Amino acid sequence: MFPDGLGQRSPQELLRYAEILVNIAAADGELVREEIAVIEGMMGRCMIHPESRVTVRTGFEQPIPLEQSLADLDQELIRYILRDAALVAAIDGSYDKKEIRALKTIAKAGGVSTQQLTDLLDWVGDGWKWYVAQREILG
Amino acid sequence: MLPDTVHKLPREERFAYARLLAYMARIDNELTIDEMAMFEQRLGTALLSPDQRELIRDALRNPPTLEECLANLSGEAGRLALRDSVMMAAADGNVDEDEREALEDISEHLGLREDAVDQLLQWTVKGYRWMKEGYDILEHLEE
Repeated sequence: MFPDGLGQRSPQELLRYAEILVNIAAADGELVREEIAVIEGMMGRCMIHPESRVTVRTGFEQPIPLEQSLADLDQELIRYILRDAALVAAIDGSYDKKEIRALKTIAKAGGVSTQQLTDLLDWVGDGWKWYVAQREILG
Repeated sequence: MLPDTVHKLPREERFAYARLLAYMARIDNELTIDEMAMFEQRLGTALLSPDQRELIRDALRNPPTLEECLANLSGEAGRLALRDSVMMAAADGNVDEDEREALEDISEHLGLREDAVDQLLQWTVKGYRWMKEGYDILEHLEE
């Protein structure tokens, strides 16, 4: 939602970032419209090139294996990915076992402990509480 | 990024929503990288067709008037467009006079309560705080 250091990453790194988000969204089965919308939004936020977005969309049908997308990425980027993957996984209101497993795989690759992952998921929960408050303002 | 309803709106309403954001993005004749990122994020979430995206990018180059944007905007699409206009206006850390005036005009057009823009700005500030906490967590994630 808010711009950050992801915009400074190379097109190849951003492609991997988006591939991993697709993998997370698909972890619990078929991708639903909510998940596609949030991934499209994240690709927009990082200003991923339109042609790269087309490449990412091909993964909606056949996601690229997580380990393959994570290979050789630096830990700082993996942590950004973990944050946004947690947001994508939560989009349908809960975390599926397969989503948790995938998040743990990303956390491990990023040097993030289980407790720290829990803190991150709590942060996502706080974001949900913040977000729903706008509904009361708008009526 | 968080659960939203923009993508559930009818196609024409999503287009009207995005057109207003294009207007807001160009209101001060200056488009910062933060505003552009926010604009592209919202455009992605709206799941517009490629043709619609092209028209919206045209609107970014040749912005419509606020009146033209509001003529096709009401109900939920309008409320979500106001919310996201507030977020986009605040994306560079400052809401200037022209932006503020347009936000109030949109709110009035939608028949929202008088303090709606203030409330949305306060809500946006809280959102920035939440996102900042996310950065702080990321910085301390090393085992």
